[in-house]
Amino acid sequence: MCYQEKRTVMNLLNGIVFLAVYCVYAWSKYQSGVIEPGDLKSWALIMLVFIGIGIVATIIMQILFQIFIAISIAIEERTEDEKKINKTIAANMVEDEMDKLIELKSSKVSFIFAGIGFFAGLIALVFNVPEVIVLNCMFLSFAAGSLLEGIYSMYLYRNGVKNGW
Amino acid sequence: MAGNIQITNNIRKLRFFADEMTQQSLAEKAGVSRQTIIAIESGKYNPSLDLAFRIALVFGVKIGEVFDYEITGENK
Repeated sequence: MCYQEKRTVMNLLNGIVFLAVYCVYAWSKYQSGVIEPGDLKSWALIMLVFIGIGIVATIIMQILFQIFIAISIAIEERTEDEKKINKTIAANMVEDEMDKLIELKSSKVSFIFAGIGFFAGLIALVFNVPEVIVLNCMFLSFAAGSLLEGIYSMYLYRNGVKNGW
Repeated sequence: MAGNIQITNNIRKLRFFADEMTQQSLAEKAGVSRQTIIAIESGKYNPSLDLAFRIALVFGVKIGEVFDYEITGENK
């Protein structure tokens, strides 16, 4: 598994944990009735806090991931020579045209899924579905879109990607 | 109109004749990751023209000696 694949797996796990924690939290709040279903301001605040937590968690995970990669390379190379380790890390971390193409194709999947969620939310509003459900659907469609992006990215790394396809 | 074009390559053979150049070494010389070289070699990724020329330059041969094509499917 190459560096980019490992990073994608880490982002996927991060996204799954984020989504699961948000779903459990939001569902418990909704069921307990602590927040009124019509209180969109509170729901928006919860989502903003979760987005903030998600960003911080991603940064921390990236730092831990880099440390983990550096340690694993040092063990593999059986050296403590910092220059050699840094050179191997730099060689592994090269982001080239294939990575950019995969990123482009997989982000397209994410945008499509998020767009569908937004569109479904608008349709739900037309049919008088409570606003809080619609808001959560839109939020979750963005989060799920991000997960799908990771899964599709992994698929492309494993099965290959062709220019113009 | 031609059918589907399958791009083939001789990278494995060229690496062999270049003193069994490693994929990592080729990747470093061409300025890409080893993963990309593996994908190109196994036909899972078609490189850009720029990268194709850079790979040919590493081996010191013309691009046609590195990459070729086969036409598959029916001609219309």
